[in-house]
Amino acid sequence: MNIKVGVFFGGRSVEHEISVISALQAINAFDSVKYTIVPIYITKKGVWYSGDALLDLEKYRNTDQLLSQCKEVYMTPTYGDYNLYKKKSSLFCSNVVSTLDVVLPVLHGTNGEDGTFQGLMDLIGIPYVGCNPVSSANGMDKVYMKMILRECNIPVIDYVWFTNRDWFANKEELITKVESELGYPIIVKPANLGSSVGISTGRDREGLIKAIELAERFSDRILVEKMVVSLKEINCSVLGESSDNVSSVCEEPVRSGDILSYEDKYMSGGGKSSKGMQSTKRRIPAELPQAVTERIQFLASETFRVLSSNGVARVDFIIDESDNMVYVNEINTIPGSLSFYLWEASNIPFDKLMDKLIQLALKRDREIRMKTFSYDQNIFSLKGGSKGGKLGSKR
Amino acid sequence: MNSLNLAINILCVLSTLLYLLTTLRYDLQMMQQNSYRNKRYMHWLRSDFSWRRAYNFVLFLVGRFFIHLLAIKAAISGATIIGVIFELRKKYKKKLVFTPRAIRLYATSIFISLLIAVVIFIETQNLNYLLISILTSTAISPWMLILSNIINAPMERAINRWYYRDAKRILSQNPNIIIIGITGSYGKTSTKHYLHRILSEKYNVLMTPGSYNTTLGVIRTIRENLKPYHEVFIVEMGAKQAGDIKEICDLVHPTIGILTSVGEQHLESFKTILNVQKAKFELIDSLPKDGLAVLNFDYEYITSRPVENTSNVKYYSASDKSVDYYLDNISYSNMGSSFSIDGKGVVSESFFTQIVGSHNLSNILAGSIVARELGVSVKSVQYGVSHIEQVEHRLNIKKTTGGITIIDDAFNSNPSGAQMALDVLSRFEGGKRIIVTPGLIELGDKQFEYNSNFGAQISNSADYVIVVGAYNRDAIMQGLTSTNYDQNNIYQAPTFTDAISHLGGVLKSGDIVLYENDLPDTFK
Repeated sequence: MNIKVGVFFGGRSVEHEISVISALQAINAFDSVKYTIVPIYITKKGVWYSGDALLDLEKYRNTDQLLSQCKEVYMTPTYGDYNLYKKKSSLFCSNVVSTLDVVLPVLHGTNGEDGTFQGLMDLIGIPYVGCNPVSSANGMDKVYMKMILRECNIPVIDYVWFTNRDWFANKEELITKVESELGYPIIVKPANLGSSVGISTGRDREGLIKAIELAERFSDRILVEKMVVSLKEINCSVLGESSDNVSSVCEEPVRSGDILSYEDKYMSGGGKSSKGMQSTKRRIPAELPQAVTERIQFLASETFRVLSSNGVARVDFIIDESDNMVYVNEINTIPGSLSFYLWEASNIPFDKLMDKLIQLALKRDREIRMKTFSYDQNIFSLKGGSKGGKLGSKR
Repeated sequence: MNSLNLAINILCVLSTLLYLLTTLRYDLQMMQQNSYRNKRYMHWLRSDFSWRRAYNFVLFLVGRFFIHLLAIKAAISGATIIGVIFELRKKYKKKLVFTPRAIRLYATSIFISLLIAVVIFIETQNLNYLLISILTSTAISPWMLILSNIINAPMERAINRWYYRDAKRILSQNPNIIIIGITGSYGKTSTKHYLHRILSEKYNVLMTPGSYNTTLGVIRTIRENLKPYHEVFIVEMGAKQAGDIKEICDLVHPTIGILTSVGEQHLESFKTILNVQKAKFELIDSLPKDGLAVLNFDYEYITSRPVENTSNVKYYSASDKSVDYYLDNISYSNMGSSFSIDGKGVVSESFFTQIVGSHNLSNILAGSIVARELGVSVKSVQYGVSHIEQVEHRLNIKKTTGGITIIDDAFNSNPSGAQMALDVLSRFEGGKRIIVTPGLIELGDKQFEYNSNFGAQISNSADYVIVVGAYNRDAIMQGLTSTNYDQNNIYQAPTFTDAISHLGGVLKSGDIVLYENDLPDTFK
């Protein structure tokens, strides 16, 4: 009896394609003796499809043709209904495509890494890999993430944040605030996007304005950070649960501009972008003094803990080379390629990583179930005065 | 034959047929509520005189002698249509559920009735005989159901066998799963819950839910709830008669068995405690050589029976320090219980739990022995034990916003559990200690004696007594009187609702209320 894992990927996100690659890598890593994989592809319009054709990366070149070989599917939000249903029902056979045991979301960015998808899974009550809605949302939102980390004494780069409407109404004041609190150069980011989309730098007032105007196209809330000029970027993955997790070896991605661009991150394979995050140019392990490595691994684990993360995440760091200060830049709660290359380098092969993720999902599910109280008692049926009277009968 | 004649004949056939279907449906519903057991059903039938049956019999008699009269046909049509409407409008507390089995039984009963009617019609070529046949079937509808039940029995057995094999097949696809059997006269459900909680620290655990402790319940759990990722399956095994537990063991083949107690329960069917012992040990006897038997040393009918088939045998006790594991340093507070687990070659570890009652601590001990043997770390066992939630209505303690402590032991009905609940009640301090109880039941000819003793025990633990209903009232009152309990502190409530409203006037903040057993108001 195999464990049926529903792998969800694609999605309404700028990282749609990366998600497809990450998911296919993960699917191939599963031990087929123990698991049966049900691939579920979410189109850029948000429609769900399932079918074996989804397992062939080449077929994604022609999406229409690919989808014609698949069935449109859905799940209902009903608690306890783990069935994947066919949209088109037929008269003589059941429209249940499959009954899932566990869900693995390999969705990067919006509508997948931000807690929205996880919320649906919680409604259904099915075990799923990775962070819950709150942790996902906090990990995704750059402003909230920094607020929480700062509160927990985890070093983050100084920042200012405001909404689009604040900016529209109080442009001058906000510019003054940025200049007095941060100075130049700065880096401007939309608060809620994954990847590096919408991020740009500014070296002066004109650059700041331009950068903000770019960022506000992507989000309602804008984060302005002090820019570390001479920096080294280091990534470290964390695996486990909030109270019990381990950090991987560190990596140093190699960059071509001020920041690791979208192209650097995903397209450095020379146009053939079929290897995802795994193909980014990088040094593993990063060349760092032992003490710095240990500090980064500790901070990665702490970040994972205070955000109540679960599953596998990648924490990205910035080291200011001028004073060797280490800052947490961001957490990716569904990292590209699920950071498997960092775990392979840490002596956890990809198939074992998948085993571990499934077990973590099941463990959290157990814990939720043990906490759940029954709602069976109908409070409307309690009459005044008989408070504390017990209801129901065993016979 | 004129057209009026034809119309009335057709109407009469249709209406009597429809009435036959509704009558069979009603009796099917009654059959279902009697668990499809003919014996129980017939017993119920004898005690149930109803106007419905008299009405049907009169219809049959009238039909038998006067059906050739057209006016009578019209009258019967009217009477049966009224019967159908009456039945359709009737509301039942427990509705008929059209399970596959119910559908099969309904179909068989309809088929037999129609077959007889059609054969008679073909033989006689007389519509009147067809009508009489239908009216006869309606009048004897309960016996039609009984007959159908007998006819269906081999098919139902075959279907059950198929389910049994299917469950076996599903289990065999998960060869590494660890199967734990739990049985005992008392404490098996609590032990199951505690063990489930503790083992969940490390494993994906499935247990038979609620009261599913029969072979069919286990089959249903396997077919509906067993997932490929389950690593441990805890099976509660109940025995109403010899062979019940062996049958479950033959299905699931447990490698670990827990025997919580051997006591005087279900003596109506077992007759002697030795037979109870024999039945409970069916679990231990079915364990393999390399299995693990965990037994409660505090019951003489457990210790008196050696275990030979399994090499790994662990005895536990709430007090005896000569055994493998025992409880020590027990102390209670209104937060819960603290205790330590000691034993031969065991490093003493201390535990805390919200659970109260010495029997419950003993059940926790049984669970933690198994957890330890399955490699759950001491830290995890301690955490699990401290997070056990008491099962609803089984000696669980709740505090209301009004500052009243409620000890809910509504699901208990045995003397030893009742004594434990009184013990817990007596340990509470602060306010008035109140007990609300209808007494204990299912104790055969010792019923009066046990309830009288219970009354005497109450006088040592409670400051105020509310006796509910009349079933055990005299016995409890005798016990209370024998210890000169203050009559002003006793209230006799005719019903539970009355008890609750009386309680409302007595309660003050800080008081403690124990609900001991909850017979429904209909229990007489």
